[in-house]
Amino acid sequence: MTAMKDKIMTNDPQRRRIPGMGWPIAIFVGTAMLAGAFAGYSETRAELGHPALAPWAGAMIAIGLGAAAFALYVRRHADWFRQWSPRKRLYWIGLVLAGTLGLVSAIMLQANGDTDLMSDSAMTPTLAIGLSALWLIGLVSALIIYHRTIDDHERMAYQIAGLAGFYAFVVPCPMWWVLARASLAPPVEAMPLFVLSLTVNALVYCWFKFR
Amino acid sequence: MNNKLKVLRAMRNWSQAELADRLDVSRQAVNAIETGKYDPSLPLAFKLARLFEMPIEEIFDDGHEG
Repeated sequence: MTAMKDKIMTNDPQRRRIPGMGWPIAIFVGTAMLAGAFAGYSETRAELGHPALAPWAGAMIAIGLGAAAFALYVRRHADWFRQWSPRKRLYWIGLVLAGTLGLVSAIMLQANGDTDLMSDSAMTPTLAIGLSALWLIGLVSALIIYHRTIDDHERMAYQIAGLAGFYAFVVPCPMWWVLARASLAPPVEAMPLFVLSLTVNALVYCWFKFR
Repeated sequence: MNNKLKVLRAMRNWSQAELADRLDVSRQAVNAIETGKYDPSLPLAFKLARLFEMPIEEIFDDGHEG
């Protein structure tokens, strides 16, 4: 009788243990580090006069291993993930897709030799077109999934954050422009404004979502 | 807007996460409603009313008498 009771309690979906977030974070960081190690290995080979690896090879191997590790993690906690509603499942698929997109972009940039996030250095046309296509298709797909699956509260946080990010661009941009015309500031650059807008957007979103 | 969500949830011995699962929203949404930092949309208010089997005005109070 006790064994039967234990069995029922074990199968109770509300009592299943929530899997820790440590492994997904470790897989994400490990994938990025592995890609960096491949890039370093390729660079060392080139410096020693050996042919370097193709820029995409190390990145693809690292992402493949990262995807395999993540699939194992999901499989290990399959019972817990199966409890999720279709909305919640799709929401997290959208977030993982966006995260993977960022990781792939960072690895591709790193393979190009851009270790500085705000680098303006030259880039091959193939890489530039590849990254643009990745952002256009990948980001739009991830955003469509995201906006179809967020709940009311998150939509409110996203909309206020979007407005704050917009103001963080439209207020300093003309100020910088007129100051630059009077030689009181350097010429207007898009990237610092882009970063400011994104930072304000992220901070406001986190405040309204998690406060 | 004041609400009795925390009391109603406690009466059923549900955690915020359990209530969030039943409403198919995030735990943060439940917490924000309970603490009065966010007023739910009308569809979500109806969902809450159906879940707790009581009228919306018994769960939420806008402070307006009569």
